[in-house]
Amino acid sequence: MKQTSIGGTKRKVTNALAMAGLVIIFIAYMFPFIMVVINSLKQKRDIIKSPFSWLFTIKGLSFDNFVKAFTQMDFLNAFKNSLLVTVSATVLVTLLAAMLAYYIVRHNNGISKLTFALMVASMIIPFQAIMIPLVSIYGGTLNVLNHRVTLIFMHTGFSMAMSVFMFHGFIKGNVPMALEEAAYIDGCTHAQTFFKIVLPLLKPIISTMVILNSLAFWNDFLLPSLVLTDKKLLTLPLSTYSFYGTYSADYGTIMAGLLLCVVPILILYVVLQKQIIGGVVAGAVK
Amino acid sequence: MRKGVMKKVISLGLILVLMSAMLTGCRFGFASDPDDPNEEEKEIPIDTSVDTFEYDSSLSGTNITLLNSKAEIQVALEKMGAEFEKKSGVHVEVMPVTDGDSPYTKVVSLYNSGTPPTASILDTTDVIALAKEKAADLSDESWTKEAEGYLTEVDGKIYSFPLCIEGRGIIYNKAVIEEALGESFEPDSVTTQDEFKELLERLVNAGIEKPVSMAKEDWSLGAHHLQYIYETYEGTSEGAGEVIEKIKAGKLDLESYDRLREFLNMFDILKKYNVAKGDPLGADYDEMAIDLADGKTAFWFNGNWAWPNISEAGAKEEDEYGFLPYFLNNDRNDFVNHQIQASPSKQVMLDGQIASEKEQAAAKEFLNWIVYSEIGQQMLVKTCNIIPPFKNNPYEPSDPLSADIYTKVHEEKAFNASAIVPNDHWAVLGASMQKYLADRSSREELTEDIQKYWDEQE
Amino acid sequence: MKSKNNGKDFCMFALPGMFCFFAVVIIPFVYGVYLTLTDWNGVSKVKNFIGLKNFAGVMRDGQFWTSLLLTFKYVIFVVLIVNVLAFAIAYLLTRGIKGQNFFRAGFFTPNLIGGIVLGYIWQFVFSRVFVSIGESTGWKMFEVSWLSDPTNAFIALVVVSVWQLSGYMILIYVAGFMGLSEDVMEAASIDGASGFVKLKNIIMPLMMSSITICLFLTLSRAFMVYDVNLSLTAGAPYGTTEMAAMHVYEKAFTSRQFGIGQAEAFILFIIVAVISGIQVYLTKKQEVEA
Repeated sequence: MKQTSIGGTKRKVTNALAMAGLVIIFIAYMFPFIMVVINSLKQKRDIIKSPFSWLFTIKGLSFDNFVKAFTQMDFLNAFKNSLLVTVSATVLVTLLAAMLAYYIVRHNNGISKLTFALMVASMIIPFQAIMIPLVSIYGGTLNVLNHRVTLIFMHTGFSMAMSVFMFHGFIKGNVPMALEEAAYIDGCTHAQTFFKIVLPLLKPIISTMVILNSLAFWNDFLLPSLVLTDKKLLTLPLSTYSFYGTYSADYGTIMAGLLLCVVPILILYVVLQKQIIGGVVAGAVK
Repeated sequence: MRKGVMKKVISLGLILVLMSAMLTGCRFGFASDPDDPNEEEKEIPIDTSVDTFEYDSSLSGTNITLLNSKAEIQVALEKMGAEFEKKSGVHVEVMPVTDGDSPYTKVVSLYNSGTPPTASILDTTDVIALAKEKAADLSDESWTKEAEGYLTEVDGKIYSFPLCIEGRGIIYNKAVIEEALGESFEPDSVTTQDEFKELLERLVNAGIEKPVSMAKEDWSLGAHHLQYIYETYEGTSEGAGEVIEKIKAGKLDLESYDRLREFLNMFDILKKYNVAKGDPLGADYDEMAIDLADGKTAFWFNGNWAWPNISEAGAKEEDEYGFLPYFLNNDRNDFVNHQIQASPSKQVMLDGQIASEKEQAAAKEFLNWIVYSEIGQQMLVKTCNIIPPFKNNPYEPSDPLSADIYTKVHEEKAFNASAIVPNDHWAVLGASMQKYLADRSSREELTEDIQKYWDEQE
Repeated sequence: MKSKNNGKDFCMFALPGMFCFFAVVIIPFVYGVYLTLTDWNGVSKVKNFIGLKNFAGVMRDGQFWTSLLLTFKYVIFVVLIVNVLAFAIAYLLTRGIKGQNFFRAGFFTPNLIGGIVLGYIWQFVFSRVFVSIGESTGWKMFEVSWLSDPTNAFIALVVVSVWQLSGYMILIYVAGFMGLSEDVMEAASIDGASGFVKLKNIIMPLMMSSITICLFLTLSRAFMVYDVNLSLTAGAPYGTTEMAAMHVYEKAFTSRQFGIGQAEAFILFIIVAVISGIQVYLTKKQEVEA
């Protein structure tokens, strides 16, 4: 990743300037998070009257908000639901999208073209435009709402277009036909070829799609709120509803709740960080 | 890559500390504060020893759902549901309207999904919109007799159960006023707009620079402020409906309509003494509660639903808070100068379309239980902190704002009028009112906006 | 994989994914388009066919066109700023700067939080934190809440959107830069090409495929902004920051004109489709194979 540095002081000066610029922008990026962390430890009154004051000048600094958020959200149960939905939907969409994209790339026929065009176009459908038709079909006609499976299925469908789009670009640019042809000569079936030869080659883009999709599923609010109403099935973002009152919000608990929602995904992010960045870098755009 | 590793270790460490601290509920040593309202949720004990309500045992085991659009009583309703289940065997699932949804959107999407709630707590306009198509007819329920004057009729039938009375006006903090003026303050002594202005002026001279808080939110401006022009037409809901018809039909010239002129006079007074005068649209709702409790201000235009915020800001139940009327003129005999507005606000509607007969019967039993059982009566008032519209309920609300409304309703110092306006009234005209509040439009433009809004209605 | 067994391949590879996609996106969408031709209000049992009446209603809804115009303005700002900023940062982050992995990760973090919550955090920052900074420092710019003035509230929306979208675009641009072979960069440096010339003549053409994707993503996301709009400003002050998607929602549910709202959503879709189509066509033409 290192670039050979050419030039002398001029280069050093520009580098230093660039670094300074980066650091400033970086701090600006982090600012809201810093505010959330600080204020999640304060009480409402202090949050409103002096949001910016540093932690230790405030009395009543405590983890109360976290305790309250933890119990009110029924954290463990909601966490379990979120995990189940996110993991299943992510696995499903990744696999199906990879296969569909592979088919589209290798079969340049009418169906492929039409499907791909529809998918790209569908990426610009506003969700509000299909919200009511969606619930009236799945609830009114099929009566399958309030099941986690339905939510998983819908998540899969909604993120299909974007995922196929990304896989499509990657396969087109990075998976050589020659390898597959060699496999066929060795007597592999299409399925064997895909799973043994092609899929491993897709690793970088898979890790990217996994993180992007699981982030989206983990944080989504609108779709789960339409599909799930049963309390036992609520996902993490849904379970923070009670912190928002009709007239005012319980800021401290909201921020603590937010951190509780983010922490699991943050862990995943820290662990996978290298693959995520690497994944986008290795393949993404072609 | 040592940095990367370090970062990982540090982040993971932080997360672990955070997690373990949460789980053990540990606090920093100096954190404990006896005045902290978060510290211990106070619970008013409910006496469950007497219960003469007759439960229908055949309904035991039925499941019903209740959609709640009154977020502040979510927990209380859940407790109520649990208590009802203990006695009757009917399970009540309380579903909240989640953030970012309006109650109406939620109900519509639930109906479309084929799983409508058995009962829904909605605003009156929502009930009117849905009643004929979806709701169960409740005209024959016995509680209708206990709630006379608070029922909403659609084509001569009753489709909804009035859950609570809410009132609004100018909230005062008595202690602050008395301390500033150095004399005792008698709310009833203020009887006209001029007297109110004089009081404000005295408070300014006594050092409270800007004694009034007013919310910038469109629902406050568009519904709670502006709707006075309909509701004070003659102080009844029918009157409000009548004046709206007249405006729509072009039979009433808004420019020469007294109530509008008077309302704007009062609004201008509030505006002049607004604590956020420098940036009226930047005012923060929670800060207003704190300012009122702290004595930075003495008045806040709001309703009894503001109590949880004021209490959270440090006020106690024994403190003296109450309402002044929204003074419209200097005529002591005009009811608006000695009565505040109070009317039923949230309604419970039962689904009559998809719910089975048993579910409907169970939901009806729940409503009856709220009105007639000793436990239900207590919980409605004490647990939910609601002012009941039912004559037979002997309990009185304990927080000073609700208590004040309760007293005023019983002493006829309140008028029961609520204007039924289209659902986007508060949003559309709320925006116009915001403009006026920020001095970005004149009275004429505001009047024009109101006229235009009504012209566009069918 | 050509030749025989085409049908079996199709069933195995393409069908499951296509089924999910059509069942969840396309069918409801088509049904939604059908609904714009009826007088259904979202609740009633009967749907009467009324032809294009709802579209006539859209024409009369002046607020929709105002919000559309505002959306255009917003999209222009967001797309430009996001892409310039992301491009520049990505460039800096591929030059071998110390801790560049740390930075890359950091810039991605806004993506860790969902839109609605994110709007609330920023609303808190704008209306409480900045104002309190203004109070204690006396800085004019933070004296009053940005969200109470139409122009500043608009700026606030742009700032938050840039903040939210740029992290992802940075990653794609970083990917693009990493894909440029080092020879190209080095050759350019040795040839003495520097600064702007190098950027314009060598880097830009090679980066066109990244630019195509980023422009497409920012365009469509900016046009459809809803979450942040709702939770940051909710259209305040006095409805001046209501974007098209939010207006559509309000029309359908707050004003209860479901058919018109649905028709507006459809028009919005057409507009976005046409504009992104043109954009992809234009930028694709610029692409060269690296």
